Amino acid sequence: MEKLLEENLNGQAETVVGPSVKIQGDLNSEGNIKIEGQVAGKVKTSQSVFVTQGAKIAADVLAGGAVIGGEVQGNLKISGHLILQSTAKVVGDITCSVLRVEDGAQFSGKCVMNGAITAANGKKSAVVEAEELEDE
Amino acid sequence: MYYYILDQNTLPVDKFEMMQTELSGLLAEFKIAGESARVTPLRTVADLVDTASQRGVKTLVACGSDDTFNLMLAALRGRDFTLGFIPFNEDSFLAKILGIESLFVGAKTIAARRIEKIDLAKIAGNFFINYLEFGVLSQNIKNAGWFSSMRMLSTEPKNLNVRIDDSYNVNINSLGGLVVNIRSTSSNVASIANPTDGNLDLLILERLNKAQILRYRKDIAEGRLENVPKSTIIKCKKIEFLEPRGTNLTMLGRSVAKFPATVEIIPHRLRMIVGKNRTF
Repeated sequence: MEKLLEENLNGQAETVVGPSVKIQGDLNSEGNIKIEGQVAGKVKTSQSVFVTQGAKIAADVLAGGAVIGGEVQGNLKISGHLILQSTAKVVGDITCSVLRVEDGAQFSGKCVMNGAITAANGKKSAVVEAEELEDE
Repeated sequence: MYYYILDQNTLPVDKFEMMQTELSGLLAEFKIAGESARVTPLRTVADLVDTASQRGVKTLVACGSDDTFNLMLAALRGRDFTLGFIPFNEDSFLAKILGIESLFVGAKTIAARRIEKIDLAKIAGNFFINYLEFGVLSQNIKNAGWFSSMRMLSTEPKNLNVRIDDSYNVNINSLGGLVVNIRSTSSNVASIANPTDGNLDLLILERLNKAQILRYRKDIAEGRLENVPKSTIIKCKKIEFLEPRGTNLTMLGRSVAKFPATVEIIPHRLRMIVGKNRTF
């Protein structure tokens, strides 16, 4: 499923932060965000966030869905699915509807599950859509 | 009423006169004849736009090169017109973007009057609808040979510092990039280079290895940086280029500003007559 999600985000990411990029400040977007570099500030989108291996975020992440393969030092508030890949390191609290943690993922903090599986804007998140596609 | 601004620009006189005659015939055939005025050293594009405004013209059509259209755009100064474009040269980027392949299609498009409200970008008092380039992208990679383009793309990256939407700063070691409203090549990602989404796309190129340069040289030359690995894509409304100071921002090879400079988008500002085969 992660591969499908990755392909989904790779194909549709509206904002892509490259590996040598350093962002300071709040990154807001209306579409999918893919982060390969470093962000020191809040990341916010109603769609999905994909944090690749080697990427670092030092602030809160608010999104409709998220796949974390890099390092996040801050709270994750995800209204839909959250996937922590084997390379993920999360130091902070998690709020999400559905959580998947792969072997090797590191997580230090509290976790609150809220049960709803739709994104903040009422539409299905890319993650949910990808899962449904896979089911079909 | 239509007001046609005819600009010889770099065309030879005989070719320009032939185009002018052909255009007159087409305008009569499609029943869209209006007033035509030719640009001369004493009567610039800006003067003709002023004249059109005084006469209460509603539709301005630039007939000539991309430069003619850009000069017309710069001369609008907030005045409200519907704009059209008829290319006199075959290598016009704007014609490709708007889906106007020839003089005939240009006249036919004006007659069909398919109007799209498109975003207008602004830099240092100038307006544009297409794209700006900086760094190696502002050099002519497309027409450079294999060896020259390898050399250009193997140069040392520079530290680029930009501020986006008054919200965050981006620091990146970059070879160059593009600020796109519209471009002549369409994208696999529908949201990129869409002139009706109210956003600019900032595409930044990072340093590549030789194999990547060879593989993605065509994409880089055509500005499709979203296909190139490690590229950064940012959708925004305002970009402040801070460093490196003195870097040129160019439009179709002509320098329009130097860093520090600010580029902003004015959403849905222009009413533009567009062709069926437009790239957006």
